[in-house]
Amino acid sequence: MKKSTKGQYALTLVSLILGLMLATQFKNVQKVGGNVSVQRTQELTEYIKKLESDNENLLNQINEYKDIISSYENTSQDETLLNELIRTKSQAGLMSMEGPGVVITVDNLLISGWDGNQQVFQSVHYDDLLRLINELNAAGAEAIAINNERVISTTEIRNAGDYIVINTNRHSTPFEIKAIGNPDNLEAALKLLGGVVDNLSQILDISIKTEERITIPQYEGTINYRFAQPLQENS
Amino acid sequence: MLLPLLGIIIGIVLGLLLPLQIPVTYAPYMSIAVLAALDSVFGGMRAKLEDNFESDIFISGFFGNAFLAAGLAYIGDRLDVPIYLAAIFAFGIRLFQNFAAMRRHFLTYLRKKSDIGEEK
Repeated sequence: MKKSTKGQYALTLVSLILGLMLATQFKNVQKVGGNVSVQRTQELTEYIKKLESDNENLLNQINEYKDIISSYENTSQDETLLNELIRTKSQAGLMSMEGPGVVITVDNLLISGWDGNQQVFQSVHYDDLLRLINELNAAGAEAIAINNERVISTTEIRNAGDYIVINTNRHSTPFEIKAIGNPDNLEAALKLLGGVVDNLSQILDISIKTEERITIPQYEGTINYRFAQPLQENS
Repeated sequence: MLLPLLGIIIGIVLGLLLPLQIPVTYAPYMSIAVLAALDSVFGGMRAKLEDNFESDIFISGFFGNAFLAAGLAYIGDRLDVPIYLAAIFAFGIRLFQNFAAMRRHFLTYLRKKSDIGEEK
């Protein structure tokens, strides 16, 4: 009988330790998320595939609608109305533009590490791009695109993990910024001593070249105003 | 039989309350150790029911199995040999066997009890 109670205590003690281990493990799994099962991975992969095909279909639909819109525009006979439409669309960034300007490529600066291998000195941050865009705007750029994403009034440039999101699309290095404007002015503004490029070129690989003809694509998204309404002036 | 159950519950509560942490890199080995420990406890309960429980064997088995399983898994990871699979299979099978033995034990116990009840 005595041996039995002793065994009971041993079992209880070990159970206690087991409970501790279980709880610690449980907490760890909660924190880390545990292993993702193969089944779940397959499920998610399927889901991504489905969403991608949905996306493609929707893109096709958008293109169809755009064709319809342009056919309506072309049938319109009113010359002034058409000109006005083109003018407003250009200003809103809804038309592809072309003209002289500068092309800036921004890439990671590679430096030789202590072991002789090439290393990325510092990755491109979203604010580096913002500073460049800011400078271009100040220098009178009339249309700007980064990696063929037209920069318009609602364009965001922000970090999302390893990517930089521009117009809700993910982009990574190298970045190519195209800007239409007076090429000499734009280049001079960028290359100002102590200016943006002067500063950034210490941590990034930046090259600027002027071109006679640049084409900048239109903004591909849609602009919806759900809250903002034009102010009705009562005269 | 109730005391070990109580022990597990108290252990879980303590583990959730105390700020015990293991590094994330060692989490996989911890999970193998937990499996080994679970198997040992089941084995202990079974031995208890079959009345051949010996506490020194039980305790050495508990810690020995847990450390061996975690250690083998660790070495397997270093050598790129999935030894942890062996641990999972071995302990998993034994867990089920132990549970089956306990179930059989309980059922025969209940049957005997009802037989006695009918005879009375």
